[in-house]
Amino acid sequence: MNDHEKRDFQAGLEAEVDAFMRGETTRRTFITRFGQMTGMLAASGPILAMMTDWALAQQKLELADAASPLGQAQAAAMKASMEGPADGSAFRAVEAAKAHSGVTLNMTYEAGLQALDPRNFSGPMWEQLTGMKSNVVELSNPDQYSKAVAEHIAGSGAYDVLDISPAWTPSLANGGVIAPLDDYIAKYMNPADLEDYHPLYKALPTYKGKIWGFFDDGDMFALYYRKDIFEDPKMVEAYQAKFNAKLAPPKTWEEYAQIAQFITDQMAPNVYGAGHFRKAGSPGNQFDFLQQYRANGGKLFGDDMKAGLVSDAGVKTLQNMIAANAASIPGNNELDAVSLWAAFLTGKVAMIYSWPPSGRMAANYSQSATAINFIPQSQIAGKVGYAVVPGNPEHATGYNKALSADSANPEAAYLFMQWACSPPVSLARCMLPYALRDPYRISHFKSELYGALFPSAKEYLSNLNNSANVGLLDPIMPGAQDYFLSIDRMCTAVWAGADPKASLETAAAEWNETTDRLGVDSQKAFYTEFLKLPGATADNTVEKLGMAVTL
Amino acid sequence: MQHTATISRLKATGAPPRLSGFAQWADRHFKWLLVAPAVLLILALSVYPLLFSLVVSFINYDFQVPGHAFVGLKNFERVVFDPVARWSLLLTAWLSGISVAIEFVLGLLVALTMVRSFPGRGVIMSILIVPLFISPVIVGQAWTLLLQRPFGPTNYILTQLLGQEVTIGWMTESPWLYVSLIIADVWQWTPFMFVILLAGLTAIPPNLYEAAELDGVNAWQAFWAITLPHLAPMMLLALTFRLLDAIRMFDTIFIMTGGGPGTRTYTASYYLYTVGFTQFHLSQATAGSWLFLIFTALVVMLLVRRLLKTEPV
Repeated sequence: MNDHEKRDFQAGLEAEVDAFMRGETTRRTFITRFGQMTGMLAASGPILAMMTDWALAQQKLELADAASPLGQAQAAAMKASMEGPADGSAFRAVEAAKAHSGVTLNMTYEAGLQALDPRNFSGPMWEQLTGMKSNVVELSNPDQYSKAVAEHIAGSGAYDVLDISPAWTPSLANGGVIAPLDDYIAKYMNPADLEDYHPLYKALPTYKGKIWGFFDDGDMFALYYRKDIFEDPKMVEAYQAKFNAKLAPPKTWEEYAQIAQFITDQMAPNVYGAGHFRKAGSPGNQFDFLQQYRANGGKLFGDDMKAGLVSDAGVKTLQNMIAANAASIPGNNELDAVSLWAAFLTGKVAMIYSWPPSGRMAANYSQSATAINFIPQSQIAGKVGYAVVPGNPEHATGYNKALSADSANPEAAYLFMQWACSPPVSLARCMLPYALRDPYRISHFKSELYGALFPSAKEYLSNLNNSANVGLLDPIMPGAQDYFLSIDRMCTAVWAGADPKASLETAAAEWNETTDRLGVDSQKAFYTEFLKLPGATADNTVEKLGMAVTL
Repeated sequence: MQHTATISRLKATGAPPRLSGFAQWADRHFKWLLVAPAVLLILALSVYPLLFSLVVSFINYDFQVPGHAFVGLKNFERVVFDPVARWSLLLTAWLSGISVAIEFVLGLLVALTMVRSFPGRGVIMSILIVPLFISPVIVGQAWTLLLQRPFGPTNYILTQLLGQEVTIGWMTESPWLYVSLIIADVWQWTPFMFVILLAGLTAIPPNLYEAAELDGVNAWQAFWAITLPHLAPMMLLALTFRLLDAIRMFDTIFIMTGGGPGTRTYTASYYLYTVGFTQFHLSQATAGSWLFLIFTALVVMLLVRRLLKTEPV
C-alpha cells in the first residue's frame, strides 16, 4: 500500500467509523429499509386495486331531463331492462347477468367521445341493473385492432368486450381473437331483435356462417346541403338559365361538381359550393374514392385477385374528385373531418357528405353537450337539407361489438353486449348528444323519440335509412387497412398534382403486393365471402336485392 | 497515531463481531448485490426487447398473417426494395440536415447577441427557451392552426403585407410543405442550440478578448481567432445532439401533414410507424428499425469520433 492508498483507506475508514458512531445509515439499516420498501411495494398492489375500484364506482349515471326525448328514451331503456317485456333481449340479458354481479368487464372503446357512452351512461346503468362493473379502456382506432391481437398473443385476457371495425372481423375470427356468439344468441336473445337490424348492417358481423359480434354504429355517409341556398329564387333562376336544369341536390358526381362550381362562382368568398376532408391520413379520401369508384362501375379486384383500380372507372373517379376539389372551399385538401364540420357549421360551405353526426351538429343538437364544445355552434340550424350521396353512399367503417375469446367472463361479457345493442338501450345510446354512435336499427329510424330530437330529425332519419338501402360497405377482408392506405396515398398525391393514371398504377401495384403477401388464394376466399354481403357492390345493394326498408 | 485513535474509538463503541464465512463473502461482494437489481432491470427492459426485436425481424410477426414462421431476410428485403422506405430515408437526411443547419446558425446568432448583459436580457432569454418545453405534438398543432387553410391566418397576413392575394397550400403543396415542417422544427429547437452555444460562449475567458482588443483586432477577427476555436467543441456537441434527435422527426409530421401528400413527407420514423402500426406488419417495421439503427449508428460514430478528437487531452 503506497502513501496515496493509505491516505484514501484511512479517510474511508474514518468516515465509516464516524458515520457508525453518529448512528447514520449502515448496510444493515439499508437492507432493512430496502426490505420494508419492497414490502410496501408488494402491499401497494392491492391498495391500488382498491383505489381503482373506488374510482370506478365514482362513475355516475348521467340521465337527461325526464321530459326530453332523450330522457324518455333513457327511461324506456331502463324500464325495458327491469320490467320487460320478458322476452326482450334487454330484459333477458339483465336477468341472466345478475348471476355475475361483482364481475368487472374490461371493454375497449375508441378514445374520446366514443368512450363517454360507457363511462357516463351504459356502463353505470348496467352496473345499477346487474351489479357488474365496467372498466373502459380507451384506445386509438388502430390500437383497437393491434392491442386486441397483442393481448391475445400474450394470452393476458385483458379485454372482455372489443369494439372493432367490421373490416377486421375475418382477421380476428381466423386468428382466434374473437369468439362466435351463436350459442349465446340461441340461449339468450330474442330473434326478433336480430331482424330489427337494417339489412345492410345485419350481416356485417357474419363470417363463414357464424355471428362474430353485434353491429353497433351506422356510419352511413349522407349529403348535407344548404336548403336556403338551393331554394333561393335568384340561385334557382341563374342555375336554370345556365344549365337548363333545376337546382336540386345532385344525383350524379358530375352534377355534384357542377353544382359546387356554380355555387362557388355565385357566392364565393362568402360561401363555397362544397368541402371535403381530403387531408392525408384523414379517411375521407379512401371512403370517397371507394364510393365513387364503385358507383362508376369499378371493380376492386379481378377474378385473378389483381387490383382493378387501373380502369376507366378509376380515372373517371379521380377526375370527378379533382373537379369537386377545384369547386370547393380554399384549403379543401388540408381539411380533416372536424375542420370540414367547422366550415359547414359556420356557413362557409353549401354541401358536404360525411358521417351522421353532421346532421345532429348542423341542428345544434350535439353542441348541447359540453363534451363536444370544440365543435362550433351551428349558424345553419334549420337551413339544412338531407339527401342520398350521388350514386351509392359509403358505409364508412362503423363498429361491431365483439366478444374477446380470452375473456375470463365470456357469458357476462356477452350479456352486456346483448343488452347494450338491444333496441331500447341502443336507441338511447344513439341519441346521446355527445355520442358518435349513429342509428342502425329499423326501430331507430322509426323512433318517434329520436324523431323529436330536433325539428328535422325525422327527415334526417329517413335519409339515413334511404342511404343504407343503396349504401356500399367498406371491403371486409384482411389487409383492408393496407388497401385503404394505398388509396389515401394515391388520392393525396393526385391532389398535389400527380398524374391520375400513374397514381392508380402505383396504388394497384401496392394492392397486388398486399394481396401477394397475404396469399392470393386466401384473399380470394375472403373477397368472395365479402361479395356475398348486401352492399358489397353497386349491383347488390340492399335495394337491388329487394330488401329495401321503407319507413 | 491515527490508526491507534481509530481503534480506540472502535473499542469505545463496541467492536463489530467476527464475521462468518458467508458474511465475509457477502461483505466482499456487497457492491455487486447492490447493483444486481438495477442490472437485471436494465437487461429485462432493454437488452431483452432488443434481442426479441432481432428475432422478430427474421420471422413472420404480422398481425394479419397467422404464425411466426422463419422468413430469413425477407423482412429486410421488403424494406430495402420498398421505394417509400428509400424516399423516407433520403427525406430524413435532407430535412434533418437543413433544419439543424438553420437552427445552428440562428442559435449561434442569438447566443452571440445574448452573451453580453443588457436590460431585459433575463426576460428575453426566458421567452426564447419556452418552445423547448412544449411537446412536439402541440408545436405541430399550433403551426397547423397558423398555416392550415381556410382558417389559419398566415395567408391573410401575407396578403396584407404583400398587397396581393396569397393562396399557398402550406401543408399540401411542394415546396411549401417542407418549408412548413422546417419552420416548425426550427421554431422549437433553435433555443436548444442557443442554450448550449451560450454556455460555450460564457466559458471563453474574457481576457482573451481584452488582449485582442489591445492588439487592435476587430470583432470579425476576434470571432474567427478566439470565439470559433474555443466554441468548436460545444458546437459539435450541440450539432450531434440535435442531429440525433432530428433524424427521429415524427410528431410534427404526424400532426401537420399526415405523411402526405402521397408519401412526400414520410420520414424514416413515420414510415416505420405506418408499416408497424397502421398496416400492422410488425416484423417488417422491426427489420426497418434495425436498418435505420445501423444508419443512425454510422452517423453517431462519425460525430462522436469527431467530438472526442476536439476534446483537450
